[in-house]
Amino acid sequence: MLGWELKRYLFNTGAMLVVMYLIFLGMFWGVKSIGGADVETSSLDSMVIGYILWMSAMFSLQGTGSVVLSESQRGTLEQIYLSPLGADMIFFFKSVTSTLFNFLLLTFMLYLTMFTTGRVLSVNLLYFYPMLFISVLSLNGIGFMLGGIGLIHKRIGAVNGILSFGLIGLMLLRVYPLNGFSFIPFLAGAHTINAHIVHGTSFPPWWYVFVAGNSLFYLAMGLLLFRVFEKRAKKLNKMGQY
Amino acid sequence: MTTAGSPAITVSKLRKSYKDLVAVDGISFEAYHGEILGILGPNGSGKTTTLKSILGLITFDSGEVTALGMDARKRSRRILRETGAVLEGARNIYWHLSPLENLVYFAGLKGLSKQDILERADMLLEQLGLNEVRDKEVRQFSKGMKQKVALACAFIHDPILLLLDEPTLGLDVEISRQMRDWLRESVMERERSILVTSHNMDFIESVCDRVLIIKEGRILSHETLESLKLRFASKTLVLELDRDPGSECLNGLAEVGQVTSDTQGDSCQLRIVLDDPMGLHAVTGALAEADSVIRDFRTEEKDLEEIFLSMIREEEQPCES
Repeated sequence: MLGWELKRYLFNTGAMLVVMYLIFLGMFWGVKSIGGADVETSSLDSMVIGYILWMSAMFSLQGTGSVVLSESQRGTLEQIYLSPLGADMIFFFKSVTSTLFNFLLLTFMLYLTMFTTGRVLSVNLLYFYPMLFISVLSLNGIGFMLGGIGLIHKRIGAVNGILSFGLIGLMLLRVYPLNGFSFIPFLAGAHTINAHIVHGTSFPPWWYVFVAGNSLFYLAMGLLLFRVFEKRAKKLNKMGQY
Repeated sequence: MTTAGSPAITVSKLRKSYKDLVAVDGISFEAYHGEILGILGPNGSGKTTTLKSILGLITFDSGEVTALGMDARKRSRRILRETGAVLEGARNIYWHLSPLENLVYFAGLKGLSKQDILERADMLLEQLGLNEVRDKEVRQFSKGMKQKVALACAFIHDPILLLLDEPTLGLDVEISRQMRDWLRESVMERERSILVTSHNMDFIESVCDRVLIIKEGRILSHETLESLKLRFASKTLVLELDRDPGSECLNGLAEVGQVTSDTQGDSCQLRIVLDDPMGLHAVTGALAEADSVIRDFRTEEKDLEEIFLSMIREEEQPCES
Protein backbone atom coordinates (compact mmCIF):
# COMPACT_ATOMS: atom_id res chain seq x y z
CA MET A 1 0.00 0.00 0.00
CA LEU A 2 2.94 2.26 0.75
CA GLY A 3 3.97 2.10 -2.91
CA TRP A 4 0.48 3.00 -4.13
CA GLU A 5 0.30 5.89 -1.67
CA LEU A 6 3.68 7.29 -2.71
CA LYS A 7 2.71 7.04 -6.36
CA ARG A 8 -0.77 8.49 -5.94
CA TYR A 9 0.41 11.41 -3.84
CA LEU A 10 3.35 12.17 -6.07
CA PHE A 11 3.47 15.85 -5.12
CA ASN A 12 3.53 15.02 -1.41
CA THR A 13 6.19 12.35 -1.97
CA GLY A 14 8.29 14.81 -3.95
CA ALA A 15 7.90 17.51 -1.30
CA MET A 16 8.91 15.04 1.42
CA LEU A 17 12.05 14.05 -0.50
CA VAL A 18 12.99 17.67 -1.18
CA VAL A 19 12.56 18.64 2.49
CA MET A 20 14.63 15.68 3.61
CA TYR A 21 17.33 16.57 1.09
CA LEU A 22 17.36 20.19 2.24
CA ILE A 23 17.74 19.09 5.86
CA PHE A 24 20.78 16.99 4.94
CA LEU A 25 22.21 19.85 2.87
CA GLY A 26 21.59 22.22 5.77
CA MET A 27 23.51 19.94 8.08
CA PHE A 28 26.46 19.51 5.71
CA TRP A 29 26.80 23.19 4.80
CA GLY A 30 25.52 24.56 8.10
CA VAL A 31 28.28 22.95 10.15
CA LYS A 32 30.88 24.20 7.71
CA SER A 33 29.58 27.78 7.60
CA ILE A 34 29.10 28.04 11.38
CA GLY A 35 32.23 26.18 12.43
CA GLY A 36 34.44 27.30 9.58
CA ALA A 37 36.75 25.22 7.45
CA ASP A 38 38.58 23.76 10.41
CA VAL A 39 35.46 22.22 11.92
CA GLU A 40 36.09 18.67 13.01
CA THR A 41 34.82 15.96 10.69
CA SER A 42 33.51 14.09 13.73
CA SER A 43 31.06 16.92 14.54
CA LEU A 44 29.39 16.62 11.19
CA ASP A 45 29.45 12.82 11.34
CA SER A 46 27.90 12.91 14.79
CA MET A 47 25.18 15.31 13.74
CA VAL A 48 24.22 13.37 10.61
CA ILE A 49 24.26 10.03 12.42
CA GLY A 50 22.23 11.56 15.25
CA TYR A 51 19.69 12.86 12.78
CA ILE A 52 19.33 9.49 11.05
CA LEU A 53 19.03 7.77 14.42
CA TRP A 54 16.34 10.19 15.56
CA MET A 55 14.35 9.97 12.30
CA SER A 56 14.49 6.17 12.36
CA ALA A 57 13.47 6.19 16.01
CA MET A 58 10.49 8.44 15.31
CA PHE A 59 9.32 6.31 12.40
CA SER A 60 9.53 3.16 14.51
CA LEU A 61 7.98 4.69 17.59
CA GLN A 62 5.01 6.11 15.75
CA GLY A 63 4.64 3.17 13.38
CA THR A 64 2.01 0.90 14.89
CA GLY A 65 0.28 3.61 16.89
CA SER A 66 -0.30 5.80 13.89
CA VAL A 67 -1.36 2.84 11.73
CA VAL A 68 -3.95 1.78 14.33
CA LEU A 69 -5.12 5.36 14.61
CA SER A 70 -5.45 5.95 10.88
CA GLU A 71 -7.15 2.58 10.27
CA SER A 72 -9.54 3.36 13.08
CA GLN A 73 -10.33 6.80 11.67
CA ARG A 74 -10.88 5.41 8.20
CA GLY A 75 -13.14 2.60 9.42
CA THR A 76 -10.87 -0.14 8.08
CA LEU A 77 -9.51 -1.39 11.40
CA GLU A 78 -12.10 -4.13 11.72
CA GLN A 79 -11.28 -5.36 8.23
CA ILE A 80 -7.69 -5.91 9.35
CA TYR A 81 -9.03 -7.91 12.27
CA LEU A 82 -10.95 -10.05 9.80
CA SER A 83 -7.73 -11.24 8.24
CA PRO A 84 -6.77 -14.84 8.98
CA LEU A 85 -3.14 -13.68 9.12
CA GLY A 86 -3.80 -11.99 12.46
CA ALA A 87 -3.86 -8.24 13.05
CA ASP A 88 -0.71 -8.26 15.20
CA MET A 89 1.27 -9.93 12.41
CA ILE A 90 -0.07 -7.45 9.88
CA PHE A 91 0.85 -4.50 12.08
CA PHE A 92 4.27 -6.01 12.76
CA PHE A 93 4.88 -6.54 9.05
CA LYS A 94 3.73 -2.99 8.28
CA SER A 95 5.96 -1.61 11.00
CA VAL A 96 9.07 -3.51 9.84
CA THR A 97 8.40 -2.69 6.17
CA SER A 98 8.01 0.96 7.03
CA THR A 99 11.25 0.92 9.07
CA LEU A 100 13.21 -0.68 6.22
CA PHE A 101 11.72 1.71 3.70
CA ASN A 102 12.74 4.66 5.81
CA PHE A 103 16.27 3.26 6.14
CA LEU A 104 16.48 3.11 2.37
CA LEU A 105 15.12 6.61 1.99
CA LEU A 106 17.53 8.07 4.53
CA THR A 107 20.47 6.25 2.94
CA PHE A 108 19.55 7.54 -0.49
CA MET A 109 19.31 11.07 0.85
CA LEU A 110 22.57 10.75 2.70
CA TYR A 111 24.46 9.62 -0.41
CA LEU A 112 22.76 12.19 -2.60
CA THR A 113 23.86 14.91 -0.20
CA MET A 114 27.42 13.55 -0.04
CA PHE A 115 27.51 13.50 -3.84
CA THR A 116 26.17 17.08 -4.04
CA THR A 117 28.47 18.56 -1.41
CA GLY A 118 31.49 16.48 -2.21
CA ARG A 119 31.93 15.81 1.46
CA VAL A 120 32.12 12.16 2.44
CA LEU A 121 31.14 10.71 5.81
CA SER A 122 33.12 7.79 7.09
CA VAL A 123 30.16 5.55 7.87
CA ASN A 124 30.50 1.79 7.94
CA LEU A 125 27.06 0.88 6.62
CA LEU A 126 27.58 -2.82 7.32
CA TYR A 127 27.86 -1.94 10.99
CA PHE A 128 25.39 0.93 11.01
CA TYR A 129 22.27 -0.64 9.53
CA PRO A 130 22.21 -3.99 11.35
CA MET A 131 22.80 -2.16 14.63
CA LEU A 132 20.17 0.46 13.83
CA PHE A 133 17.64 -2.20 12.84
CA ILE A 134 18.21 -4.16 16.05
CA SER A 135 18.05 -0.99 18.15
CA VAL A 136 14.82 0.39 16.71
CA LEU A 137 13.02 -2.92 17.32
CA SER A 138 12.65 -1.77 20.94
CA LEU A 139 10.81 1.30 19.69
CA ASN A 140 8.66 -0.86 17.45
CA GLY A 141 7.70 -2.58 20.72
CA ILE A 142 6.83 0.77 22.31
CA GLY A 143 4.90 1.55 19.12
CA PHE A 144 2.89 -1.63 19.66
CA MET A 145 2.10 -0.56 23.22
CA LEU A 146 0.90 2.80 21.91
CA GLY A 147 -1.07 1.01 19.20
CA GLY A 148 -2.74 -1.11 21.86
CA ILE A 149 -3.66 1.97 23.86
CA GLY A 150 -4.91 3.49 20.60
CA LEU A 151 -7.30 0.57 20.10
CA ILE A 152 -9.14 1.61 23.23
CA HIS A 153 -8.54 5.32 23.64
CA LYS A 154 -8.18 6.20 19.93
CA ARG A 155 -6.59 9.63 20.37
CA ILE A 156 -2.93 9.06 21.18
CA GLY A 157 -1.33 11.73 18.99
CA ALA A 158 -0.21 13.77 22.00
CA VAL A 159 1.54 10.79 23.62
CA ASN A 160 3.24 10.00 20.32
CA GLY A 161 4.51 13.57 20.06
CA ILE A 162 5.77 13.73 23.64
CA LEU A 163 7.63 10.44 23.30
CA SER A 164 9.16 11.35 19.94
CA PHE A 165 10.58 14.65 21.12
CA GLY A 166 11.34 13.36 24.61
CA LEU A 167 13.58 10.84 22.91
CA ILE A 168 15.94 13.63 21.80
CA GLY A 169 16.51 14.58 25.42
CA LEU A 170 16.85 10.98 26.53
CA MET A 171 19.52 10.35 23.90
CA LEU A 172 21.80 12.74 25.79
CA LEU A 173 21.82 10.45 28.84
CA ARG A 174 24.95 8.47 29.65
CA VAL A 175 24.14 4.79 29.16
CA TYR A 176 27.61 3.22 29.08
CA PRO A 177 29.01 1.70 31.28
CA LEU A 178 25.86 -0.14 32.26
CA ASN A 179 23.58 1.85 34.56
CA GLY A 180 19.87 2.41 35.11
CA PHE A 181 19.49 4.55 31.99
CA SER A 182 20.92 1.72 29.86
CA PHE A 183 17.63 -0.12 30.27
CA ILE A 184 15.59 2.62 28.59
CA PRO A 185 14.59 1.39 25.13
CA PHE A 186 16.78 2.37 22.17
CA LEU A 187 19.29 4.45 24.18
CA ALA A 188 21.94 1.73 24.50
CA GLY A 189 21.80 0.97 20.78
CA ALA A 190 21.83 4.63 19.75
CA HIS A 191 24.81 5.37 21.98
CA THR A 192 26.70 2.34 20.67
CA ILE A 193 26.16 3.33 17.04
CA ASN A 194 27.16 6.93 17.58
CA ALA A 195 30.20 6.18 19.73
CA HIS A 196 31.49 3.44 17.44
CA ILE A 197 30.97 5.19 14.11
CA VAL A 198 31.92 8.70 15.11
CA HIS A 199 34.61 8.09 17.73
CA GLY A 200 35.64 4.52 16.91
CA THR A 201 34.81 3.33 20.43
CA SER A 202 34.94 -0.44 20.91
CA PHE A 203 32.43 -2.31 23.04
CA PRO A 204 32.74 -5.77 24.59
CA PRO A 205 30.62 -8.58 23.09
CA TRP A 206 28.37 -8.77 26.18
CA TRP A 207 27.32 -5.15 25.53
CA TYR A 208 26.05 -6.07 22.06
CA VAL A 209 24.14 -8.98 23.60
CA PHE A 210 22.68 -6.51 26.08
CA VAL A 211 21.62 -4.11 23.28
CA ALA A 212 19.93 -6.92 21.35
CA GLY A 213 18.31 -8.31 24.51
CA ASN A 214 17.02 -4.88 25.45
CA SER A 215 15.43 -4.47 22.02
CA LEU A 216 13.90 -7.91 21.93
CA PHE A 217 12.56 -7.50 25.46
CA TYR A 218 10.70 -4.30 24.58
CA LEU A 219 9.48 -5.76 21.31
CA ALA A 220 8.12 -8.83 23.11
CA MET A 221 6.56 -6.66 25.82
CA GLY A 222 5.00 -4.46 23.16
CA LEU A 223 3.47 -7.40 21.35
CA LEU A 224 2.24 -8.89 24.61
CA LEU A 225 0.65 -5.65 25.79
CA PHE A 226 -0.85 -5.11 22.36
CA ARG A 227 -2.65 -8.43 22.74
CA VAL A 228 -3.85 -7.49 26.20
CA PHE A 229 -5.30 -4.20 24.90
CA GLU A 230 -6.72 -6.01 21.90
CA LYS A 231 -8.60 -8.41 24.20
CA ARG A 232 -9.90 -5.49 26.21
CA ALA A 233 -10.99 -3.65 23.04
CA LYS A 234 -12.88 -6.73 21.90
CA LYS A 235 -14.57 -7.03 25.26
CA LEU A 236 -15.60 -3.37 25.21
CA ASN A 237 -16.53 -3.41 21.50
CA LYS A 238 -14.06 -0.65 20.71
CA MET A 239 -12.71 -1.96 17.42
CA GLY A 240 -15.05 -0.15 15.12
CA GLN A 241 -15.63 2.99 17.12
CA TYR A 242 -13.74 6.20 16.64
CA MET B 1 -19.88 -29.06 4.80
CA THR B 2 -21.46 -26.70 2.26
CA THR B 3 -24.56 -28.68 1.37
CA ALA B 4 -27.58 -26.47 0.87
CA GLY B 5 -29.76 -26.53 3.94
CA SER B 6 -27.02 -27.58 6.34
CA PRO B 7 -26.16 -25.07 9.07
CA ALA B 8 -23.41 -22.63 8.17
CA ILE B 9 -23.70 -20.69 11.42
CA THR B 10 -25.13 -21.87 14.71
CA VAL B 11 -25.61 -19.37 17.48
CA SER B 12 -26.64 -20.80 20.81
CA LYS B 13 -27.66 -18.78 23.87
CA LEU B 14 -25.40 -15.91 22.86
CA ARG B 15 -25.18 -13.23 25.50
CA LYS B 16 -23.25 -9.98 25.60
CA SER B 17 -23.57 -7.15 28.06
CA TYR B 18 -21.75 -3.90 28.79
CA LYS B 19 -21.98 -3.20 32.51
CA ASP B 20 -25.74 -2.91 33.10
CA LEU B 21 -26.72 -2.86 29.45
CA VAL B 22 -27.62 -6.21 27.95
CA ALA B 23 -26.90 -5.96 24.21
CA VAL B 24 -27.68 -9.56 23.32
CA ASP B 25 -29.74 -11.62 25.70
CA GLY B 26 -29.22 -15.33 25.09
CA ILE B 27 -30.31 -15.55 21.47
CA SER B 28 -30.16 -18.76 19.45
CA PHE B 29 -30.55 -19.25 15.73
CA GLU B 30 -29.08 -20.98 12.71
CA ALA B 31 -28.15 -19.72 9.27
CA TYR B 32 -28.02 -22.29 6.51
CA HIS B 33 -25.93 -22.78 3.41
CA GLY B 34 -27.66 -21.51 0.30
CA GLU B 35 -29.82 -18.93 2.03
CA ILE B 36 -29.85 -15.29 2.96
CA LEU B 37 -30.91 -14.61 6.52
CA GLY B 38 -32.04 -11.10 7.33
CA ILE B 39 -31.72 -9.62 10.78
CA LEU B 40 -34.17 -6.85 11.54
CA GLY B 41 -34.41 -4.77 14.63
CA PRO B 42 -34.54 -1.18 15.81
CA ASN B 43 -31.36 0.71 16.66
CA GLY B 44 -29.59 -0.83 19.63
CA SER B 45 -31.41 -4.13 19.33
CA GLY B 46 -28.20 -6.18 19.14
CA LYS B 47 -27.95 -6.83 15.39
CA THR B 48 -24.41 -5.57 14.93
CA THR B 49 -23.24 -7.07 18.22
CA THR B 50 -24.49 -10.45 17.02
CA LEU B 51 -22.66 -10.12 13.71
CA LYS B 52 -19.44 -8.99 15.35
CA SER B 53 -19.62 -11.78 17.90
CA ILE B 54 -19.78 -14.30 15.07
CA LEU B 55 -16.77 -12.64 13.45
CA GLY B 56 -14.77 -12.60 16.68
CA LEU B 57 -14.61 -8.79 16.79
CA ILE B 58 -16.49 -8.78 20.07
CA THR B 59 -15.82 -11.13 22.95
CA PHE B 60 -19.20 -12.40 24.10
CA ASP B 61 -19.99 -13.26 27.73
CA SER B 62 -21.54 -16.67 27.25
CA GLY B 63 -23.07 -18.99 24.71
CA GLU B 64 -21.68 -20.80 21.69
CA VAL B 65 -21.06 -19.69 18.13
CA THR B 66 -20.21 -22.26 15.50
CA ALA B 67 -19.36 -21.31 11.94
CA LEU B 68 -18.70 -23.87 9.19
CA GLY B 69 -18.70 -26.51 11.88
CA MET B 70 -15.95 -24.82 13.90
CA ASP B 71 -16.01 -23.11 17.25
CA ALA B 72 -15.79 -19.38 16.54
CA ARG B 73 -13.72 -18.77 19.67
CA LYS B 74 -11.14 -21.48 19.05
CA ARG B 75 -10.88 -21.54 15.26
CA SER B 76 -11.55 -17.94 14.36
CA ARG B 77 -8.63 -17.61 11.92
CA ARG B 78 -9.70 -20.71 10.02
CA ILE B 79 -13.26 -19.39 9.84
CA LEU B 80 -12.10 -15.97 8.68
CA ARG B 81 -10.45 -17.57 5.65
CA GLU B 82 -13.92 -18.45 4.41
CA THR B 83 -15.66 -15.31 5.60
CA GLY B 84 -16.22 -11.89 4.15
CA ALA B 85 -17.88 -8.93 5.84
CA VAL B 86 -18.97 -5.38 5.25
CA LEU B 87 -19.41 -3.72 8.61
CA GLU B 88 -19.11 -0.01 8.12
CA GLY B 89 -20.34 0.23 4.58
CA ALA B 90 -18.37 2.54 2.35
CA ARG B 91 -15.91 3.26 5.18
CA ASN B 92 -14.65 -0.33 5.02
CA ILE B 93 -12.35 0.44 2.12
CA TYR B 94 -9.45 2.79 1.41
CA TRP B 95 -10.74 5.89 -0.33
CA HIS B 96 -7.33 6.99 -1.51
CA LEU B 97 -6.87 3.78 -3.48
CA SER B 98 -8.59 2.58 -6.64
CA PRO B 99 -11.12 -0.31 -6.65
CA LEU B 100 -8.47 -2.62 -8.12
CA GLU B 101 -5.88 -1.60 -5.53
CA ASN B 102 -8.43 -2.15 -2.76
CA LEU B 103 -9.19 -5.61 -4.10
CA VAL B 104 -5.52 -6.54 -4.35
CA TYR B 105 -4.86 -5.21 -0.85
CA PHE B 106 -7.77 -7.03 0.79
CA ALA B 107 -6.89 -10.22 -1.06
CA GLY B 108 -3.43 -9.88 0.50
CA LEU B 109 -5.01 -9.55 3.94
CA LYS B 110 -6.78 -12.82 3.27
CA GLY B 111 -3.44 -14.41 2.44
CA LEU B 112 -3.82 -14.49 -1.35
CA SER B 113 -1.23 -13.26 -3.83
CA LYS B 114 -1.89 -10.69 -6.53
CA GLN B 115 -1.60 -13.35 -9.26
CA ASP B 116 -4.21 -15.51 -7.54
CA ILE B 117 -6.87 -12.86 -7.50
CA LEU B 118 -6.49 -10.80 -10.66
CA GLU B 119 -8.93 -12.96 -12.58
CA ARG B 120 -11.44 -12.84 -9.76
CA ALA B 121 -10.97 -9.09 -9.34
CA ASP B 122 -11.73 -8.63 -13.04
CA MET B 123 -14.88 -10.69 -12.69
CA LEU B 124 -16.12 -8.81 -9.61
CA LEU B 125 -15.40 -5.40 -11.13
CA GLU B 126 -17.29 -6.44 -14.24
CA GLN B 127 -20.26 -7.92 -12.37
CA LEU B 128 -20.65 -4.89 -10.12
CA GLY B 129 -20.29 -2.39 -12.95
CA LEU B 130 -17.00 -1.00 -11.69
CA ASN B 131 -14.79 -1.96 -14.60
CA GLU B 132 -14.63 1.47 -16.17
CA VAL B 133 -13.58 3.09 -12.91
CA ARG B 134 -11.26 0.33 -11.74
CA ASP B 135 -8.22 2.60 -11.64
CA LYS B 136 -9.86 5.76 -10.34
CA GLU B 137 -9.56 6.92 -6.76
CA VAL B 138 -12.51 5.65 -4.70
CA ARG B 139 -12.78 9.06 -3.01
CA GLN B 140 -14.37 10.42 -6.20
CA PHE B 141 -17.19 7.85 -6.17
CA SER B 142 -20.78 8.16 -5.01
CA LYS B 143 -21.75 6.38 -1.80
CA GLY B 144 -23.39 3.59 -3.77
CA MET B 145 -20.27 3.00 -5.83
CA LYS B 146 -18.11 2.94 -2.71
CA GLN B 147 -20.49 0.44 -1.18
CA LYS B 148 -20.12 -1.74 -4.25
CA VAL B 149 -16.34 -1.63 -3.92
CA ALA B 150 -16.68 -2.65 -0.24
CA LEU B 151 -18.88 -5.55 -1.29
CA ALA B 152 -16.42 -6.62 -3.98
CA CYS B 153 -13.62 -6.58 -1.39
CA ALA B 154 -15.67 -8.78 0.93
CA PHE B 155 -16.12 -11.24 -1.96
CA ILE B 156 -12.55 -11.17 -3.27
CA HIS B 157 -11.45 -14.44 -1.67
CA ASP B 158 -14.63 -16.24 -2.73
CA PRO B 159 -15.94 -16.71 0.82
CA ILE B 160 -18.63 -19.14 1.89
CA LEU B 161 -19.95 -16.92 4.67
CA LEU B 162 -20.89 -13.29 4.15
CA LEU B 163 -21.92 -10.97 6.95
CA LEU B 164 -23.26 -7.63 5.83
CA ASP B 165 -24.20 -4.88 8.25
CA GLU B 166 -26.54 -2.33 6.69
CA PRO B 167 -25.21 -2.82 3.13
CA THR B 168 -27.88 -0.57 1.59
CA LEU B 169 -27.62 2.32 4.03
CA GLY B 170 -27.88 5.55 2.08
CA LEU B 171 -28.10 3.86 -1.32
CA ASP B 172 -30.57 4.84 -4.00
CA VAL B 173 -33.25 2.43 -5.21
CA GLU B 174 -31.40 1.45 -8.38
CA ILE B 175 -28.16 0.49 -6.66
CA SER B 176 -30.06 -1.32 -3.89
CA ARG B 177 -31.83 -3.33 -6.57
CA GLN B 178 -28.55 -4.18 -8.34
CA MET B 179 -27.04 -5.24 -5.03
CA ARG B 180 -30.06 -7.38 -4.23
CA ASP B 181 -29.91 -9.18 -7.59
CA TRP B 182 -26.19 -9.71 -7.28
CA LEU B 183 -26.44 -11.12 -3.76
CA ARG B 184 -29.21 -13.52 -4.81
CA GLU B 185 -27.15 -14.76 -7.72
CA SER B 186 -24.02 -15.16 -5.67
CA VAL B 187 -25.72 -17.09 -2.90
CA MET B 188 -26.77 -19.69 -5.41
CA GLU B 189 -23.32 -19.83 -6.97
CA ARG B 190 -21.48 -21.53 -4.09
CA GLU B 191 -24.24 -22.41 -1.62
CA ARG B 192 -23.10 -19.41 0.33
CA SER B 193 -24.69 -18.31 3.53
CA ILE B 194 -25.35 -14.60 3.89
CA LEU B 195 -26.40 -12.78 7.05
CA VAL B 196 -27.61 -9.30 6.40
CA THR B 197 -28.88 -6.58 8.69
CA SER B 198 -30.77 -3.66 7.21
CA HIS B 199 -33.34 -1.02 7.94
CA ASN B 200 -34.42 -1.23 4.32
CA MET B 201 -37.50 -3.46 4.57
CA ASP B 202 -37.96 -3.68 0.80
CA PHE B 203 -34.40 -4.88 0.45
CA ILE B 204 -34.79 -7.49 3.20
CA GLU B 205 -38.14 -8.59 1.85
CA SER B 206 -36.82 -9.03 -1.66
CA VAL B 207 -33.49 -10.64 -0.87
CA CYS B 208 -33.92 -12.78 2.27
CA ASP B 209 -35.21 -16.31 2.63
CA ARG B 210 -35.75 -16.00 6.34
CA VAL B 211 -35.94 -13.13 8.76
CA LEU B 212 -34.88 -12.81 12.35
CA ILE B 213 -36.56 -9.99 14.22
CA ILE B 214 -34.81 -8.90 17.38
CA LYS B 215 -35.47 -6.28 19.98
CA GLU B 216 -33.47 -5.43 23.07
CA GLY B 217 -31.21 -8.39 22.40
CA ARG B 218 -34.00 -10.93 22.24
CA ILE B 219 -35.56 -12.74 19.32
CA LEU B 220 -39.16 -11.81 18.59
CA SER B 221 -39.47 -13.92 15.49
CA HIS B 222 -37.35 -16.36 13.53
CA GLU B 223 -39.06 -17.77 10.48
CA THR B 224 -39.41 -17.62 6.72
CA LEU B 225 -40.92 -14.54 5.17
CA GLU B 226 -43.83 -16.62 3.90
CA SER B 227 -44.76 -18.00 7.30
CA LEU B 228 -44.27 -14.62 8.91
CA LYS B 229 -46.65 -13.04 6.43
CA LEU B 230 -49.08 -15.89 6.76
CA ARG B 231 -49.08 -15.58 10.51
CA PHE B 232 -49.93 -11.91 10.37
CA ALA B 233 -52.06 -11.98 7.25
CA SER B 234 -54.44 -14.52 8.76
CA LYS B 235 -55.29 -12.19 11.58
CA THR B 236 -57.02 -9.40 9.65
CA LEU B 237 -60.19 -10.29 7.79
CA VAL B 238 -61.82 -7.80 5.43
CA LEU B 239 -65.47 -8.50 4.56
CA GLU B 240 -67.61 -6.70 1.97
CA LEU B 241 -71.28 -6.88 3.08
CA ASP B 242 -74.48 -5.98 1.26
CA ARG B 243 -75.60 -3.79 4.16
CA ASP B 244 -74.70 -2.54 7.62
CA PRO B 245 -75.22 -5.48 10.03
CA GLY B 246 -76.34 -3.18 12.85
CA SER B 247 -74.84 -2.16 16.15
CA GLU B 248 -76.07 -5.25 18.01
CA CYS B 249 -74.20 -7.52 15.60
CA LEU B 250 -71.09 -5.33 15.73
CA ASN B 251 -71.11 -5.41 19.53
CA GLY B 252 -71.28 -9.18 19.37
CA LEU B 253 -68.38 -9.32 16.90
CA ALA B 254 -66.26 -7.12 19.18
CA GLU B 255 -66.02 -10.14 21.49
CA VAL B 256 -64.27 -12.07 18.70
CA GLY B 257 -61.78 -9.35 17.80
CA GLN B 258 -61.23 -5.70 17.07
CA VAL B 259 -63.92 -4.56 14.59
CA THR B 260 -64.17 -1.46 12.44
CA SER B 261 -66.97 -0.84 9.92
CA ASP B 262 -67.35 1.58 7.06
CA THR B 263 -70.83 1.91 5.57
CA GLN B 264 -71.29 3.66 2.24
CA GLY B 265 -74.73 3.57 0.69
CA ASP B 266 -75.91 -0.01 0.40
CA SER B 267 -72.57 -1.62 1.11
CA CYS B 268 -70.52 -2.01 4.24
CA GLN B 269 -66.89 -2.97 4.76
CA LEU B 270 -65.97 -4.79 7.97
CA ARG B 271 -62.39 -5.17 9.16
CA ILE B 272 -61.98 -7.70 11.92
CA VAL B 273 -58.65 -8.38 13.59
CA LEU B 274 -59.22 -11.91 14.86
CA ASP B 275 -57.62 -12.86 18.14
CA ASP B 276 -58.15 -16.50 17.24
CA PRO B 277 -58.71 -17.90 13.71
CA MET B 278 -61.50 -20.07 15.17
CA GLY B 279 -63.44 -16.83 15.67
CA LEU B 280 -64.23 -16.89 11.94
CA HIS B 281 -67.09 -19.30 12.62
CA ALA B 282 -68.65 -16.88 15.11
CA VAL B 283 -68.29 -14.02 12.59
CA THR B 284 -70.18 -15.80 9.81
CA GLY B 285 -72.85 -16.97 12.30
CA ALA B 286 -73.41 -13.46 13.65
CA LEU B 287 -73.63 -11.96 10.16
CA ALA B 288 -76.13 -14.62 9.06
CA GLU B 289 -78.24 -13.84 12.09
CA ALA B 290 -78.17 -10.13 11.17
CA ASP B 291 -79.19 -11.02 7.56
CA SER B 292 -76.01 -9.52 6.15
CA VAL B 293 -74.75 -11.22 3.03
CA ILE B 294 -70.98 -11.50 2.49
CA ARG B 295 -70.33 -10.31 -1.07
CA ASP B 296 -66.58 -10.63 -0.94
CA PHE B 297 -63.82 -11.30 1.55
CA ARG B 298 -60.05 -11.25 1.78
CA THR B 299 -57.33 -11.57 4.34
CA GLU B 300 -55.18 -8.51 4.56
CA GLU B 301 -51.51 -9.08 3.82
CA LYS B 302 -49.12 -6.86 5.68
CA ASP B 303 -45.79 -6.03 4.17
CA LEU B 304 -42.65 -6.71 6.15
CA GLU B 305 -42.47 -3.18 7.43
CA GLU B 306 -45.94 -3.38 8.95
CA ILE B 307 -45.22 -6.79 10.41
CA PHE B 308 -41.95 -5.54 11.85
CA LEU B 309 -43.53 -2.46 13.35
CA SER B 310 -46.45 -4.32 14.84
CA MET B 311 -44.13 -6.93 16.32
CA ILE B 312 -41.93 -4.29 17.82
CA ARG B 313 -44.94 -2.52 19.24
CA GLU B 314 -46.62 -5.61 20.53
CA GLU B 315 -43.39 -6.94 22.06
CA GLU B 316 -44.42 -10.52 21.63
CA GLN B 317 -42.84 -13.10 23.85
CA PRO B 318 -39.43 -14.14 22.53
CA CYS B 319 -39.42 -17.45 20.76
CA GLU B 320 -36.26 -19.53 20.76
CA SER B 321 -35.76 -21.91 17.92
